[in-house]
Amino acid sequence: MTDTEIFDKVKEILVDQFDLEENEVSLTTDLTNDIDADSLDLFEVLNRVEDDFDIKLAVAEDIKTTQDLVDKVKAQLAA
Amino acid sequence: MAVIVNNPLFKKLGMKYPIVEGGMTWAGTGALAAAISEAGGLGFIGTGYWHGEDVRREIKRVKSLTDKPFGVNVMLLSRHIREVFDVIIEEGVAVVATGAGDPSPFLAELHAAGIIVMPVVPSVSLAQMMEKKGVDAVIAEGMESGGHIGMLTTMTLVPQVVDAVNIPVIAAGGIGDGRGVAAAFMLGAAGAQMGTRFLTATESEIHPNFKAKIIKAKDIDTIVTGNILGNRARVLKNKMAKNFVKNEVNELQKEKPDAAAMEKLESGTLRRAVQEGDKDGGAFMAGQISGLIKDEKPAADILSDIWTQATDLMGIDNTTL
Repeated sequence: MTDTEIFDKVKEILVDQFDLEENEVSLTTDLTNDIDADSLDLFEVLNRVEDDFDIKLAVAEDIKTTQDLVDKVKAQLAA
Repeated sequence: MAVIVNNPLFKKLGMKYPIVEGGMTWAGTGALAAAISEAGGLGFIGTGYWHGEDVRREIKRVKSLTDKPFGVNVMLLSRHIREVFDVIIEEGVAVVATGAGDPSPFLAELHAAGIIVMPVVPSVSLAQMMEKKGVDAVIAEGMESGGHIGMLTTMTLVPQVVDAVNIPVIAAGGIGDGRGVAAAFMLGAAGAQMGTRFLTATESEIHPNFKAKIIKAKDIDTIVTGNILGNRARVLKNKMAKNFVKNEVNELQKEKPDAAAMEKLESGTLRRAVQEGDKDGGAFMAGQISGLIKDEKPAADILSDIWTQATDLMGIDNTTL
């Protein structure tokens, strides 16, 4: 899976979860400050990312931006 | 839907009642946990930020008072967590409940030691993530609870978690009598967790001021601190709690709110409430159900009375598991 494909899928999850327009999500989007995600929202995102990519993530992942999320997915897919 | 009260998980633990003690730092001592387990519930030692040897001391207290299984509730944020788990495994504790984090890095070794693992969860997605990682049950805790809380109520959280996972769900938050336990089963839970109700058990070692505060409390006598800057916790109202909330509002008006400074204000306040009964300066962590609790009685009577009322309401034989 390419970086772009991972990003597109992550973006799809974020757009759906937070009712955003596609152009509101970039790699630098800060989930807490730009999207106002709270900790429960982040669990929801992690849970969906786990299911959609068929990977396992730690609950306490240090994820601030979309890029962080993409990197975690990449690392898990490569593992 | 038939109500199933004899969940295999509880039967395996030899429990008489599908009722577990909530994890309560400082208040959840070995003496209280032992009394609850001995009576047929499942007692839990609350460990908070304790060192491993503090945990071992309380485990040994429980073992000196009962040979029934019991649990240890651990705070995963604790920097002593590694040594706490080492002690739990060495001492052969039956059950571990976890809060404030992800227990999965420890799951394999806990399971290898035959320990049942039940994380506390505040949402459906976290319950699902925990199930995927292989935990044995989840404790779905609503914001009616005392201490650190999530955003959802027990009434709304429990049935949604029950529908989302295939492992036993224990309902927690706002349960203090047989009606609450029966309601938990109606929502699909396999059992109920109670914390505040056990704080006024005869065997509870909290300061008499704390017990008196719970018994005197009315429905509106709890307040949530940390609503604005995070780390939400429900406590009984007193000067400390009201000042904390005021300070939080003031802090928010600053250009750079200092959440760490607010956390410092809280430091040590729970111990001061539990052990010293510091009426003005302690954090008396207790749930909204405090207003329902009007007496002090042995843990065995609490369990027996509650189960009698619950089974009567559910229209099932008043038999134990």
